[in-house]
Amino acid sequence: MKFSPRFSFAVLFGLSLVASVAFSADPPLGLPSVPVPSNNPMTAEKISLGKQLYFDGRLSADNKVSCASCHDPAKGFSNGDQFATGVEGKKGGRNSPTVINTAYGALQFWDGRAKTLEDQALGPIQNPIEMNMTLDAVIKKLNGIEGYKTQFKKVFGTDGVTSDVIAKAIAAYERTVISGNAPYDKFKAGDTKALSEAAQRGQKLFFGKAHCSACHAGPNFSDNSFHNIGVGMGKKDFDKGRADISKLAGDTGAFKTPTLREIAKSGPYFHDGSVKTLEEVVDHYAKGGIPNEWLDEEIFNIKIAPTEKADLVKFMTEGLSSLDYPDHKAPELPK
Amino acid sequence: MLRSMAFLLCGSIALTAVAQDAKPTTVLGGIDNPCGVAVQAATGHIFIAAHSGVWRLDPKSGKAHAEIAGFPTDIYGKGPKYNIGPLGLAFWDDEHLIVGDGSRPDGDELVRIYKVGKDAPHADHPPIKEDAAVATLGPIKASEETAKGEGNFYGVASNGKSIFITCNGDDTKGWIAKSTAANGKPGALKLSVATKVATEVDAPVPVIFSLDGKDLVVGQMGEVSTPPGDSLLSIYDPETGKLKKNYKTGLNDIAGLAYSPKTKKLYATDYSWSDPKAGGLFRLDIDGDSIKAVKIASLDKPTACAFDKNGVLYVAVFGTVAEGSDKPAGALVKFDSGL
Ligand code: HEC
Ligand code: HEC
Repeated sequence: MKFSPRFSFAVLFGLSLVASVAFSADPPLGLPSVPVPSNNPMTAEKISLGKQLYFDGRLSADNKVSCASCHDPAKGFSNGDQFATGVEGKKGGRNSPTVINTAYGALQFWDGRAKTLEDQALGPIQNPIEMNMTLDAVIKKLNGIEGYKTQFKKVFGTDGVTSDVIAKAIAAYERTVISGNAPYDKFKAGDTKALSEAAQRGQKLFFGKAHCSACHAGPNFSDNSFHNIGVGMGKKDFDKGRADISKLAGDTGAFKTPTLREIAKSGPYFHDGSVKTLEEVVDHYAKGGIPNEWLDEEIFNIKIAPTEKADLVKFMTEGLSSLDYPDHKAPELPK
Repeated sequence: MLRSMAFLLCGSIALTAVAQDAKPTTVLGGIDNPCGVAVQAATGHIFIAAHSGVWRLDPKSGKAHAEIAGFPTDIYGKGPKYNIGPLGLAFWDDEHLIVGDGSRPDGDELVRIYKVGKDAPHADHPPIKEDAAVATLGPIKASEETAKGEGNFYGVASNGKSIFITCNGDDTKGWIAKSTAANGKPGALKLSVATKVATEVDAPVPVIFSLDGKDLVVGQMGEVSTPPGDSLLSIYDPETGKLKKNYKTGLNDIAGLAYSPKTKKLYATDYSWSDPKAGGLFRLDIDGDSIKAVKIASLDKPTACAFDKNGVLYVAVFGTVAEGSDKPAGALVKFDSGL
């Protein structure tokens, strides 16, 4: 594991004589510790198992689509397409969000319909246009792979594979897909050379006149909340977003504020993948989005010169791209 | 019009009060979206800011009347939507009431000081007009520091020398504005503490002084839609504006804060926007670096709160308007001394 120097593992023996490995990780500069639920502690073996599952196409009906197909480390843990492409080339109506730092998210999905990564993980496997499997079928398939069976037994003490432990292993792996220690963090910590002049000007705009930090705030550049920023509106059958879950009219067309860390790699952008470049994203905000009755108060026409737009983009691309990008490669898969 | 508004006295307002050890009683009902409460020390009169203006209640007689009226209307939220007017209230001295406004667009809003007197001169006379203030502070226009200008002056704290106003217009900085008095007159309103820069959480809402007057105590509401439990209690040095302490409370949306003059305990209301059932009155027990929020009573969307000098706590609640009704559901409730 590339990040192993930062992680330390201490083996603790409980009274049950089952070895469990306590996980302690020093988070990278600029980020707090990753929240880990008490019923799914992190262990090296569990993370490794989760990583195999994440990259394994056998979790899908046609053996071709893995989590990594749509959340590809080479593409910012997104997939480079406007919409995600699942089994048999089927396409959904939303853009694949990045998995980077999603461990810090209070709720998962664009509309926040899943509470935890454990809740989230089984969704795509069963989604007919993503991996299109039933849980029974996945469990049966994995139970037939000796390498998985032994690992699940070792990690969870279960005799066979269950949906609960699949979700736990994948979630544990996702908690290691982290990006911090970016030039922005170094600059903030006092290294005045970490950001170029242009990126520094962009940073000032981001937290000031351009108003971005009204929502992209905190260590992960997300308030973990939902806003209608005027994307995809104006169509008859527009995506209602958060309102379908919260049932509050005020959430109509509102989507989760995504992280902006590693944003240079994860385009196209927005929940509907409608925007290809960060320059166009900034143009969207400068105009104040597509007007609609649920538009967030913090979205309005901002007066910003072309050079300032370029500075803002520079801040995002240079300031928020880390040299410690989690450039994970597919592991060897069990047989 | 306003003055003919019907009040229910001690009526049965629909409160979801499942009191653990304290039971609220309704003092005044039929108030439209009350957001501010202040007690006049000399008289014990309760002032309530609502969409329709500022009301004055004499708890002895139970009678209430419009004290300041004529504010415009602004709308808060996108569904549910609430009409709002004046928001925060605090006394400048015995006779002068400071009113933080929320009835105008951001960048145009004002903080005004009115002479309300002690013997309720407006009980039998028309209310003070909104613009007939003895002093007007603000507006805070758009500038380098605030992209769209400030507004929604929700919380007001004053020690007679400095006035602190929480602002909820610009979400990038979460400003607290400050006016410092010179020659007995309040000075210009200036952006002072950027709470979001200090705490990385949105929306400073209630602000009060600690009992010894040395600290500024701020409730940081956080996001209203999510995530749950993001509300903070933050302590600042009123002189320097430096963050001294910051506590996670686990509450959803702190909207009111008050210290009991009798027991010295700190209380907070949780509006709990996205999960109103979780809302109510809480006691905040500070233990070292952490806070335990103990639920005292459930309340339906509580906002501001204030103690009188005998330790009676008054709390404003929005309530829920019955389906198909156009009658305001807000109320002022009280918890008898003991808190
Ligand atoms: C066919 C493409 C596809 C596959 C395969 C896929 N996902 Fe996703 N994923 C998406 C899309 C699209 C969304 C957003 C859906 C929404 O918000 O409604 C998403 C959302 C997520 C999120 C939420 C991120 C956030 O910021 O809220 C996580 C976490 C995630 N996927 C993990 C996984 C895991 C783990 C797997 C494998 C078990 C997987 N995905 C398989 C397309 C895919
Ligand atoms: C009102 C809150 C808000 C403000 C202000 C805001 N954003 Fe966003 N941002 C969001 C939300 C919500 C989304 C996702 C919206 C969607 O897809 O419908 C988003 C999406 C983005 C994305 C695309 C991310 C992705 O993974 O697709 C970028 C880039 C971005 N914002 C940058 C900015 C910049 C730069 C500014 C300032 C000019 C800004 N944002 C201001 C809330 C906000």
